[in-house]
Amino acid sequence: MTAPGTGGPPVVGGPPAVGVAAGRAGRRARDLPKLADPAAPLLAVDDLSVRFRLAGGSVKAVDGVSFALDYGEALGIAGESGCGKTTTALSLVRLLPPNGRIRGGSVRLYGIDLVPKSERALARYRWREISIVFQGAMNALNPVRRIRDQIAEPIVVRLGETEAAARRKAGDLLEYVGIPRRRGAAYPHELSGGMRQRAMIAMSLACDPAIVIGDEPTTALDVMVQAQILELFERLRADLGLSLILITHDLSVIAETCDRVLVMYAGRVAEEGPVGRVFTAPRHPYTQKLLASFPNIRTDRRTLDVIPGQPPDLREPPPGCRFAARCPAAMPVCTEVVPPEVRFADGVRVACHLYPPEAAATVPPVIDVTESVVGIEVQEA
Amino acid sequence: MGSSFLVRRVVQAVLTILLILVLNFFLFRLMPGSPERSITRNPNLTAEAKAELRVRWGLDKPVFPDQFVAYLGDVSRGDLGYSFKYRGAPVTEVIGDRIWPTILLFGAGEAIAIVVGLSLGAYAGWRRGGPIDYLGNGLSLVLYSMPYFVLGMLLLMVFSRTLGWFPTSGMLTSGASYAGPADQLLDFAAHFALPLATVSLGLIGLYSILMRSAIIETLAEDYVQTARAKGLREGRILRHHALPNAILPAVTVVAIQLGYVIAGAITAEVVFNWPGLGTLAVTALSARDYPVLQGVFLLLAVSVVVANLLADLLYGVLDPRVRT
Amino acid sequence: MSAGTAPVDVRTARLRLRARAVREFAARFLSRPDGLVGSLILVVFAVLAIAPELFVGPLETATSATGDRLAAPTPRHILGTDDLGKDLLNLTVHGTRVSMLIGLLATVITVAIGSLIGIVSGFVGGVLDAVLMRFADFFLVLPTFVLALILAPILIELIGAQSEILGMRVTLIVIVVVIGITSWASTARIVRSQTLSLRERAFVDRARVVGAGNAAIMRRHILPNVVNLIVANAVLVFASAVLTETTLSFIGLGDPFQPSWGLLLNSAQAAGAAGLGAWWFVIPPATCIVLVVLAFTLVGGALDDVLNPKLRGRR
Repeated sequence: MTAPGTGGPPVVGGPPAVGVAAGRAGRRARDLPKLADPAAPLLAVDDLSVRFRLAGGSVKAVDGVSFALDYGEALGIAGESGCGKTTTALSLVRLLPPNGRIRGGSVRLYGIDLVPKSERALARYRWREISIVFQGAMNALNPVRRIRDQIAEPIVVRLGETEAAARRKAGDLLEYVGIPRRRGAAYPHELSGGMRQRAMIAMSLACDPAIVIGDEPTTALDVMVQAQILELFERLRADLGLSLILITHDLSVIAETCDRVLVMYAGRVAEEGPVGRVFTAPRHPYTQKLLASFPNIRTDRRTLDVIPGQPPDLREPPPGCRFAARCPAAMPVCTEVVPPEVRFADGVRVACHLYPPEAAATVPPVIDVTESVVGIEVQEA
Repeated sequence: MGSSFLVRRVVQAVLTILLILVLNFFLFRLMPGSPERSITRNPNLTAEAKAELRVRWGLDKPVFPDQFVAYLGDVSRGDLGYSFKYRGAPVTEVIGDRIWPTILLFGAGEAIAIVVGLSLGAYAGWRRGGPIDYLGNGLSLVLYSMPYFVLGMLLLMVFSRTLGWFPTSGMLTSGASYAGPADQLLDFAAHFALPLATVSLGLIGLYSILMRSAIIETLAEDYVQTARAKGLREGRILRHHALPNAILPAVTVVAIQLGYVIAGAITAEVVFNWPGLGTLAVTALSARDYPVLQGVFLLLAVSVVVANLLADLLYGVLDPRVRT
Repeated sequence: MSAGTAPVDVRTARLRLRARAVREFAARFLSRPDGLVGSLILVVFAVLAIAPELFVGPLETATSATGDRLAAPTPRHILGTDDLGKDLLNLTVHGTRVSMLIGLLATVITVAIGSLIGIVSGFVGGVLDAVLMRFADFFLVLPTFVLALILAPILIELIGAQSEILGMRVTLIVIVVVIGITSWASTARIVRSQTLSLRERAFVDRARVVGAGNAAIMRRHILPNVVNLIVANAVLVFASAVLTETTLSFIGLGDPFQPSWGLLLNSAQAAGAAGLGAWWFVIPPATCIVLVVLAFTLVGGALDDVLNPKLRGRR
């Protein structure tokens, strides 16, 4: 555990003294907010809708999305660019641009609905309950402030600690993510991409959150660094009992790190369920096509599947299922009626007319719409 | 701060000043009334007499490096030649007591403009939209399009002539005797007000437009989103995240605009007959008093280079990215 | 070849595409309030500059002055008279031509020099680039107004104050040249920066593979892609040139026989107009200056936005 050096993978320190590690199964022994309901699930999103007002009209970027997150669970949100996954996650803490607004649904954290809260009341939940790790390639760190000061900032301002104590904690957090403490005096541009991403992870832990949202945390990093970052996220869950929401278009990341996956298309949920099930036996045609477009070393598939066409223009969304235009199994009903979400006995939720509500509570066979369903192998932890 | 950054900037500044001296040197030779030309153009001198004069004035030596080095020596000793207009008076003397009124006008004007202009601009960028924003923007645009002397003349007409609040020209009332230093100070202040307002207002127009767009751009940056995600209040985000970044282009523009501001200050002095370098330069121009013109040019050019150097160093303090 | 389809002439197709691009550009440009207002103002002044006699007759001189000295506006002299009795409306309208012409010529020189140096410097790189940019930085730091102040009288005396070039008095030509000499640096820097990023693009490599030489690549590939930038920049240079000319004339470098707005204000200052309350001597030329500079600034901004749209906004 003690291998100081400039080369090789960074050596991480022990769990920081910022919170009580409770392991995966239990809840974190910390002060819950006053209104919290101890019996409620950690996070329950129900029928969430987000609308953006644009020059040419308005767009419902998120249309009736529901999901839940339990303590210590890792949920991956997958989908192509523009499908609304980032908007969904950011809207949990109402981090929307000026032209965006939550138009419906509820976001219950410990059973407390955040949607009707005022901006000031909501801001109290930011970072302390839900924090975000932004994409490293972005300009997400203030270029004229030192790393340790940026990590210490929420500790001082939101938790009311002294500067000295905050700086010490910041150092602890940096060591935990594998950055030597003295590097905290550096500015963002002096760190490599991987180190910046680690620094942001350290920053996200500053206030002891219950949920950490990772927004494309490994995109734009090379494969070696990607692996290290994912390993770090794993340790966050193991040591600190955090819950994780990982947003990415890279299914392999979700396969490796998450318990459950939520597949989104054009602002709606296509399929959701345990990663093992969804990735080895995907039901929704979109999920199947998505998986089929990923190369797999183990089979001798020669050609990658391609989904023809484009996602629909959400200013004028088509009636019925939004994937119908590109779906090889589209039926007449698909262009007329929005497919209802059906939950099956194996824990998978699908919104597709191929799996009608009558099949709920059973485990219906998977209808393969591609040439051959090639799933991603999922490592069982 | 990296010492190499410091050294590099200082070396550049020194090189620039050297180039200015070279330029000035050539102007010195070209200008009508220069020793070289007065010899060449004089039809009354014989060839021998010309040759002799050349030797006596050191003009027979090669231009580089001998004449140039001699020129540098003169300059470093403070010998900038003699005025044509004020016969026999050394240029340094003529320029001498015109310097501080200009420094005062220019310095105070910039200081006010920086504080007021940047603050207004930052506020406008923070709370954009709304009638005040549009009004302020429009006003700033008009001020920015107005040459300083036009603004000066307008202020003069309104506040001096029509309202009679301020005197029309000069630094002090000529021939006045004062009861005490406070009275003199008051008289000075009355005379100073309008020229100062002229220089300040023009700059405030520019700086507020600049800062407004800098703040707007900064507020759209990703690290501001991070700051919001941290649950920080808008005021703190503005002060600790937006402003330290938005101030960077402001410093750059202030430095770039220095030459332009000098032009404006010169003309503002003319309008109010403020006894500074500007009015000196203009009278020297109409009298074709080239040595004085050159002296003023040298002084102003070197000042701007030094000021730019200071601004560069300040930028290095504010932005850690350039220090590497 | 299927019957019934006429052969498509490549040139016609290209012209048609260009015409459509121009139409689209014009529509987008004129739909903006700053583009529209700015252009209208400039059109008005352009008309006045081209044919001032149509509106106010020939330029009044001291001998042909028609009014009392420094008289306030009357129905006969709508804008009053100057200190020699000349009609201010007449003077102001005629001043349009001088101010705009000088501005135009100075802009042409500045943009030509600046673009040439910018493209060559950015494209060729190396020592040439370093030397040229040192020069440009020098001119950027230098208070060019003061340089103009000292350069202009020297040049005037060298050339001879009474001669004429191209129908313009030397004084004015010298002002044009001096503005050009002192203003090219910022255009050069902007163009060079664009050239640098264009140089890395694939089409340059392709052109080289085909065997095109430096000059050809610069002319046929780089130049068309920086034209947008140059045009937007030229408009702002024009505004700045008008301002500089105005200021130089105000200082006394103008030509009394072809007075520009700046020179009118110089006469006003010399006559003490502001102190005497002769606002009609000051306001008309001042308003024209502000309007023209404002118009150029608005148009320049609109052009820049339309020709070089900046992608903004988060994902």
